[in-house]
Amino acid sequence: MEETNVKVSKNSINNAFASHFAKSMFLAVSGIVILSFIGTRMFTHVDLNLYGYMVGTIVFLGGFFYRFIAWGERPPTKIIIKKGIKLLFRKSTPKTSAEHLATYRFIWNRGIYRWTQHVLIGWGCIVSCFVTFPLVFGWMYFTMAESGYYTIVFMGINLMTVPADGIIAFFSYNALNFSAISVIIGVCMALYRRLKNMQARADQNFLYDFMPLYLLLIISVTGLILTFMNVFLHGAGHYAMSLIHQYSVIVTLIYLPFGKLAHIPFRPLSVFARNYREHYGEKSMKECKVCGTGFVSTEQSNDVIDVLGKNDMEFNMKDGFNLAELCLPCRRKYRIARFSGFETHKVPVKEANQNAKG
Amino acid sequence: MEKKRLYIELENCIGCRSCLAACTQCGGHEQKNRNYVYDVNPLVNRQTMPLMCLHCVDPACARSCPAQAIQIHETGAVLSALTEKCIGCQNCTIACPYGIPKFDEEENLMYKCDLCIDRTKDGIPPMCASVCPSNTLQWLTEEEIAEKQQMHDLGNDKWVTSMPYLEGETNVKVNLPGILQGTTKLF
Repeated sequence: MEETNVKVSKNSINNAFASHFAKSMFLAVSGIVILSFIGTRMFTHVDLNLYGYMVGTIVFLGGFFYRFIAWGERPPTKIIIKKGIKLLFRKSTPKTSAEHLATYRFIWNRGIYRWTQHVLIGWGCIVSCFVTFPLVFGWMYFTMAESGYYTIVFMGINLMTVPADGIIAFFSYNALNFSAISVIIGVCMALYRRLKNMQARADQNFLYDFMPLYLLLIISVTGLILTFMNVFLHGAGHYAMSLIHQYSVIVTLIYLPFGKLAHIPFRPLSVFARNYREHYGEKSMKECKVCGTGFVSTEQSNDVIDVLGKNDMEFNMKDGFNLAELCLPCRRKYRIARFSGFETHKVPVKEANQNAKG
Repeated sequence: MEKKRLYIELENCIGCRSCLAACTQCGGHEQKNRNYVYDVNPLVNRQTMPLMCLHCVDPACARSCPAQAIQIHETGAVLSALTEKCIGCQNCTIACPYGIPKFDEEENLMYKCDLCIDRTKDGIPPMCASVCPSNTLQWLTEEEIAEKQQMHDLGNDKWVTSMPYLEGETNVKVNLPGILQGTTKLF
């Protein structure tokens, strides 16, 4: 993919791989195997009860790399990723990341209801991933050397020994139950909004908007039923239910890179975008070729012209500018000028208020 | 159901801004309007013209979007950014040759005219065309647009709908002012 414009040295490690995809897959699987080798003390503590999830994760990685490498090859995406990585160590990155990826401030501004449902679903999923995957790959497990005391082993290191009926143990056993409850509440809120809110109803469809919610609901409900069966039914039906639960998780995992849930792994790009705008905005602003106000960074204006050029779009006007070099009001006035024959954009009058109050 | 298009007869505009108000009331629009009305020569006369997304066949906004957030509906409408995908880079606002997409800084989200997709997908005219009192914005079939084209074609290269006056092929057809062609309209 890169061969055309990047000179690859003869002994580059990239030559060992047939494609970008092959390399990513190899590195990811090797990484997991090495981590598991360390975490499980040389494969002596593998929980084979969870091997279905292991296979599911590997299949998921295949789909994930396929989807995201293809996506990263698009000209605009490539630019944002490349420059985003370069600007990753800006001072504002931790704050931006926290606001975009942890507290979802921008969703708060879209509505408190939507924020609540998103926090419940999002953090429920994050917590369950942080519990599930270490267990699946043996990065974390529990041993009981002394009766009544669990030792939590993390990456092969005895992290701490806790009483089996203590508070830490309680939260460890029940982390997935709590996250399931959180996801169920969040999903129900989301479903209610999708059924009642006219705005949501305007452009939703079953496969894209509802199915991911139902998948999360099935995972959480079957997970909770599993707990219920073990606690109240003495484990009756455990095996059938654990298989159902496992299937639901694996199907969701494999589907994840291809539908609405794809925004989870790809959302960090919004931090890249913010850094990109802030950094190049501080460097130099592009001045509108008509009115002279700085409206976007010079870098971004050039990048957009470049990207459009790759798509065979050239908006160079006879008046001696590219349309991406005009600020938005001037660009709109320029269009009116093209319609009417009178040079509206040259009249030094600020555009009238264009925002109607609903 | 016959396919209809938005058709704009620019010189009819009387500047009432009903289209802006109606836009805010559309199901998917969150009370934010996505269209514009401009004074052509603000210090001299009262002529106005509306400007809205022309729904390019090959939209620059979608081409420039790193997140593939701008989708094109099967009717040809170029939709607002998908809320979960838009990363707030604002490439689309820079790329659009007409300066149409708006950006909400607070919500970190781009929004633009989606041709009232909840209505037009079922053949109902978009809000702006429904309320326009002066027939500036019309919702017409291909034949009706062809008729308009013929009606305004003076054979002197001074006419009418859209190309080659725009930057690319569009789904919305625009009729350039008859005033330029020396025709007078009777209302």
